[in-house]
Amino acid sequence: MTGLQEVSHRHEGELEAAVPKGKPILELRGLQKNYGAVQALKPATITFLSGEIHAIVGENGAGKSTLIKLLTGVIPRTAGEVFWQGEPVLLASPNEAIARGINAVHQEVVLCPHLSVAANMFLGDEMNRRGLMRKRAMTDAAQGVLDDLGFSLPANATLGSLTIGQQQLVATARAAMRGTRFLIFDEPTAYLTRQESAQLFRLIRRLQGEGVTIVYISHRLEEVFELADRVSVLRDGTHVGTRDISATNEAELIALMINRTIEQIYHKEQFALGETIVEARGLSGPGFSDISLSVRAGEIVGLYGLIGAGRSEFALGLYGRHPLTAGEVFWQGRKVEIDNERKAMELGVALAPESRRDQGLCLNLPIGLNINLPVFRKLTRGLTINRAEEAANADRQIRDLQIKTPSRRVLASAMSGGNQQKIVIGKWLSHGAKLFIFDEPTVGVDVGTKAEIYRLFARLLEKGAGIILISSYLPEVYELADRLHVFRQGRLVASHDYRAASHEDVLAQAINA
Amino acid sequence: MSVETVESSAGPTPKRGVSILFGLTLLGLLVVLWLLLGLATSAFWTPNNISNLLRQGAMTAILAVGQTFVIITAGIDLSVGAVVGFTSVIVAWLLAAGVPLWLALLATLLIGVLIGVFHAFGIVRMGLPPFIITLATLTSLRGIGLLITNGSTISITNETFTNFSRADFLGVPSLFWMVIVVAIPAYVFLHLSRFGRYLFAVGSNSEAARLSGVNVNRTIYLAYILSSTCAAFVGLLLASRIGIGNATQAEGWELQAIASSVIGGTSLFGAVGSVHGPLLGAFILATINNGANLLNVNSFWQRIITGVLIIVIVYFDQLRRRGAR
Repeated sequence: MTGLQEVSHRHEGELEAAVPKGKPILELRGLQKNYGAVQALKPATITFLSGEIHAIVGENGAGKSTLIKLLTGVIPRTAGEVFWQGEPVLLASPNEAIARGINAVHQEVVLCPHLSVAANMFLGDEMNRRGLMRKRAMTDAAQGVLDDLGFSLPANATLGSLTIGQQQLVATARAAMRGTRFLIFDEPTAYLTRQESAQLFRLIRRLQGEGVTIVYISHRLEEVFELADRVSVLRDGTHVGTRDISATNEAELIALMINRTIEQIYHKEQFALGETIVEARGLSGPGFSDISLSVRAGEIVGLYGLIGAGRSEFALGLYGRHPLTAGEVFWQGRKVEIDNERKAMELGVALAPESRRDQGLCLNLPIGLNINLPVFRKLTRGLTINRAEEAANADRQIRDLQIKTPSRRVLASAMSGGNQQKIVIGKWLSHGAKLFIFDEPTVGVDVGTKAEIYRLFARLLEKGAGIILISSYLPEVYELADRLHVFRQGRLVASHDYRAASHEDVLAQAINA
Repeated sequence: MSVETVESSAGPTPKRGVSILFGLTLLGLLVVLWLLLGLATSAFWTPNNISNLLRQGAMTAILAVGQTFVIITAGIDLSVGAVVGFTSVIVAWLLAAGVPLWLALLATLLIGVLIGVFHAFGIVRMGLPPFIITLATLTSLRGIGLLITNGSTISITNETFTNFSRADFLGVPSLFWMVIVVAIPAYVFLHLSRFGRYLFAVGSNSEAARLSGVNVNRTIYLAYILSSTCAAFVGLLLASRIGIGNATQAEGWELQAIASSVIGGTSLFGAVGSVHGPLLGAFILATINNGANLLNVNSFWQRIITGVLIIVIVYFDQLRRRGAR
């Protein structure tokens, strides 16, 4: 704890006016935000108590991001009042929010990947002596903070060389040492491994112990129950309730969020297994070695493991993105060489990749173009594209998948995570395939969309397709996969039939505990 | 209903609509410039001057269209000015050596294709940034051209060739017709064919395009070949117009082409652009030069005005994009 205090003493002036624990620190009274004629956040009255961990849950589009943006001064409110330590405040700019001690850690790290960890932690607030930076002192201080927090991270490492999870920890440490009184976490664990999540939770509890008020936004209800003191639920822009965590349960929260029960989420239908679609024998490539597995028609094959266990690399190898170094692939019994993506597509493989932003979507292009990208060849008549078919195909996927957009011409970047995932999936539905590889299809996706995606799996299986489902979220693969393979460090270490092993065993195999 | 629906319906309007609106704004600017110049000087609305203006703008316009293909893939082609000078030397050299006209024209265009292949090879296989590889050809092509001509110029005696650029067809200069000859296939390619869609996809996110089955390397080859071939075509037009081949001609035209493209709404970050935009951009620049000459404005001022115009137009375009979000 000394580390944090030493570094943050320069902010002491701002820290003094602390509110006693359990008393309101931030109160929203009828806070409201309209975009044009439509209400993104209907008048909400929520009180945040000093020193509590307050979770906010809701489906995508429920108004959570709007609320964060209002609290961090990114967008102006339409109506209502905000009281900070009893005083009405405007929160007109991000600077005002930060100056008052309101800060946010975002799901995607917004720091400078080319600078060192220490430089990032002190960015904009560097230690100077006579106009020169005290690089050594900053590195030492940053290392002190990191060690103190129990992160085994070198302060002089380049930020970009760390995993996303480690970067997130750096971002949190950075916010922690700036005299933050009120810290908002926006789905912080979406890209974290279990160990990293555990470290983050320790840090959050520790900040709470120092009197910081935490707002924790997450799709993962089990995290909410592990961490939070109270929880507020948003639905369709409406604040539908706040509960003490001890007085509620998962079922009630889900009911508040969506009016759907938990059994309906992991929607699974059993189909008679058909012929073998694909079989990998001793497949090796960059990041994975000696993988043997097969997928049959009507079957979901789950690949579980920690991030970096080689599952996505295996999928990309099977899809022809990276060259294979050893092993054989049999497609419907016939030996094939898949050495590029086009070939995989023509055989009938479809891949919804892990990262929507980096691999899945052309974000600054229209939804329609994204959906049609794999099928422009089919839409071409002579030299030109058949525009009517192009439009009809895009509109059909938008309608079938219930992508919430006024038009296929809206840019993909304007969509929420769940809708973006539907676009990625929609691409492959119009192309048609026998083998669908879904890599982390429900990361950053709300509960309602998750259920829709699982229902879609059943529809694909029914038509005789096979599915490879890659997930770092055990309940998902556990509940859905007919056969579950566990990956660790690039190797397939265990295989189980549907629900044949316990959660604990599978987890232990994945982390080699 | 969700907030996303709400935000997007209030937010980004259909792309095509915006692009047409922006095109109309540029067209409006061009018309206003013409009207103002017509009021300011009687020399503007004369057939002679208008023909001259169309000839001036034509070559930049063709370069700008080729450049736009490359910029849409989030690349840049700095070599186009040098390619124009170099190919003017090549065609003059071939004609002086007695090569038949049709063959000389074809061979020169082929040189343009090969330069584009070289650029794409450097980018795709050698992993060089587009800025670097095209900067390298910019300087070396000028050098090769000077070596061929030994630093002087080659005159062109073939009158069929040199008369072409002075000729009119239906009262419009043949050079302007060439813009249409390039623009129509370019429009079909970029806006109506799947390869145009691929250019945008590669410029937006090449990994996503690759995983969707787009041949990214081939798309990059296509973009740079089109740009260099457009430049070689302009080299032919320039040689026809001035009747010589000279490796130092078309100095700085690459910047004119990039400026036209950017004024026409192309984003240097890739994935945003059209065919009509750079055409309008090129003729706006040509009008400013032409008007400044007629009004006896110091030619140094023309450069300053061009710079200011680029900032103003791109700034308003940025505001519009931000407003649309």
